Amino acid sequence: MGYTLRRGRLVAAVVLAAVAAVPRAPRAQDDVRRELEEMKKQLRALQQQIERQQAIIQRLTAGQQQAAPAAAPASPPPAATTATAEDEERLRRQVTEQVLRRIQPSLAAANKTFPAQFNPAIGFVIDSVGSYSSKERSNFEFRSGEIGISASVDPFARGYAIINGTQTGIDVEEAAIVTTSLPWNLTVKGGRFFADFGRLSKFHDHDLPFVNRPIALDRYVDGESQADGVEVNWLAPLRQYLTLTAGAYNKMGADNTRVDNTVPRDFSKNTYLGRAATFFNLSDANSLDLGASLAYTPKVEEDGGAHRALSGLDLTYRYVPLSEASYRGLVWGTEALWNQEDRPLGGAAAPASAAASLARTLAPGLLAPLAGPLAPAPLAVAPASAPAGFRQHNAVGLYSYLETRLTRRFSPGFLFEWAQDVDGLRGDTIAYSPYLTIWASEFQRFRLQYTRLEEPGSHDNQFFLQWTVILGSHVHTFRDR
Amino acid sequence: MRTTLITLLAGVGLAFAGPAAAAKLDVVTTIPDLADFTRQIGGDRVEVTSLATGVEDIHAVPMKPSFAVLLNRAQVVVLMGLEAEHAFLPALLEASRNPKIQRDQPGYVDASVDITPLEVPTRIDRSLGDQHPMGNPHYNLDPVMMKDAARAIADGLARNDPAGAPTFEQNLAALLAKLDANIARWEKEAVPLHGKKVVSYHPDLIYLCERFGMIPFGTIEIRPGVDPTPSHVADLETRMREEKVDLVVRERHYPAGLAETVAAATGAKLVELPVMVGGVPEAKDYVGLIDYNLHTLLKAVGAG
Repeated sequence: MGYTLRRGRLVAAVVLAAVAAVPRAPRAQDDVRRELEEMKKQLRALQQQIERQQAIIQRLTAGQQQAAPAAAPASPPPAATTATAEDEERLRRQVTEQVLRRIQPSLAAANKTFPAQFNPAIGFVIDSVGSYSSKERSNFEFRSGEIGISASVDPFARGYAIINGTQTGIDVEEAAIVTTSLPWNLTVKGGRFFADFGRLSKFHDHDLPFVNRPIALDRYVDGESQADGVEVNWLAPLRQYLTLTAGAYNKMGADNTRVDNTVPRDFSKNTYLGRAATFFNLSDANSLDLGASLAYTPKVEEDGGAHRALSGLDLTYRYVPLSEASYRGLVWGTEALWNQEDRPLGGAAAPASAAASLARTLAPGLLAPLAGPLAPAPLAVAPASAPAGFRQHNAVGLYSYLETRLTRRFSPGFLFEWAQDVDGLRGDTIAYSPYLTIWASEFQRFRLQYTRLEEPGSHDNQFFLQWTVILGSHVHTFRDR
Repeated sequence: MRTTLITLLAGVGLAFAGPAAAAKLDVVTTIPDLADFTRQIGGDRVEVTSLATGVEDIHAVPMKPSFAVLLNRAQVVVLMGLEAEHAFLPALLEASRNPKIQRDQPGYVDASVDITPLEVPTRIDRSLGDQHPMGNPHYNLDPVMMKDAARAIADGLARNDPAGAPTFEQNLAALLAKLDANIARWEKEAVPLHGKKVVSYHPDLIYLCERFGMIPFGTIEIRPGVDPTPSHVADLETRMREEKVDLVVRERHYPAGLAETVAAATGAKLVELPVMVGGVPEAKDYVGLIDYNLHTLLKAVGAG
């Protein structure tokens, strides 16, 4: 019996020594991990072997006791039992220490790769669109190559950046710091980011459910809700989901040319935002998101110093059957916007807008060596010809789309859009867009879309094929849900 | 008028605010299997809510804002780990603004810390599908591995409620004894399944196969998370016929049509299995889940 136990320990020690004698030369982290896994398995096997042997010993002991209850003592003398327990404990300690000593160099080798692991997660999106328009004919558009970078800054904040290269240049779409440990459910965001206005104005182009940004968002928000500034968001400590956002920015809207983003200004010329968003879980499968936003600028130079208020309501209904969430579902999303501002009679002057637009899309580094009309200086200059006057004009627009998921691969949808002209100089624009999204995988997507665009006095038939892929890190964010 | 307004506001406040905070540890688990274990280990000292109901694909649990509210109030979150919840949990944790349950904090209880996963990839590449760099995360279908998960949960609860540690230890011992007794029974019952070849829709049955002696033959998905192409299905059917595959398992959150077609084309028996507690009404708890799965498989091979 004792011999069996000793032999078991001896085998254990020999196998452990063999395991521990694995060469210690530096190796790739994968090799180290595999080696550690192998060691863990072997240790577990040894442990199980010892347990089995102990069970055999106990059975044998019990058998002997039953066979000769009177002839032998029922159990070993107490001193012997204590000695065995001490031996076992000592052996366990020795094995543990030996294993730890042996794996320490491997752990140290693995640790050497850690500095590289501090690098941020990097993802890259390629978005390409081929189109044909009855007005503008065909076009292959490299829409964007977008690098996304994100990492924790320290225990108190994280940072992320979205840098977008397009046909016309490179642009930092977002580069923001977000706090992660403020009390009272608060989050503060600073830098350049997409302001918390509405729903789809916070989406990057390639994340939209259809090929193009809705006309109402393009006209009133002026592209994505890009803003340089600061934003505070509060999650109300209630059982009902409710978030409130307050923000202050130079301006809002990536293509908003009303305000020059590059010069200091009075507080009255900043844009201030307020938003409330809530969520109703109607049932396990049905839910409703509701939001209301207001972006207010007390004084807009281009509007003769008058204020501008852009309000929005957004509603998103989702049907997601829990047991079929990957391949069945329905989304109905609607946003309505109301733009109130004084507009120059005859519309905003084009030259300043065009120069500002060019400046935004070209990298500052590219602009610097340029002289003449393309240099940054003219951006701060007022329109070449002063408007004859201003008049208040309210413009309203909306979009509404319905998208169904038929399989994991196919999601058809239909988008309706209606928008009034910001300056009130032209009639309304209406567009109808059936589309089909085809997911080759989670990281590759094709989209076919037809758009019937009806503008005052003309119409256009547009066909699109979008091909979007994601390389590298891809994080499912709460904002893009 | 003012009284009416105050009454109205108070009513709204009551409707939105929940009951007064209880002394129990508020625990949110990602899946019902972990909720079952946490309830058994935590006993009266915990209040447990599961985000998933059990019928979902763990990789596609909807990211509902109401979950952010639950997590905001939680003192502990218990998760499967191995990035099983990558599609919803990291974003929800950030949205929860709850520092206590963020990764590496005491309230973040990863049940996989002592699990040695299967299928740890030796190469990370998206051409190989939606990979889990740390290994296959569907270990909840192996009751032996779930003993390790139970220990991790007990440790996690004790970390957050040190006064309850003796209770958790005692309840853990009872749970492990119950699992041991059932594991011995399941291993005996599963003998007719030994050597049976199994095709599943997604590679989430590998731990069940490994534990009960079945052979995972392949998946209907061409790669994890990627729907099959016609050529993959044709190739799979050919190989299944050649190798005489016994069973096609459709996890109940995947579409039925293709699994039925593959089974019919190859003569394999089609079986529909839940992968989480709550996936079928019979799987009311973890023992019920494994019971249901084994008995369904045994019935399919004519041994039930």
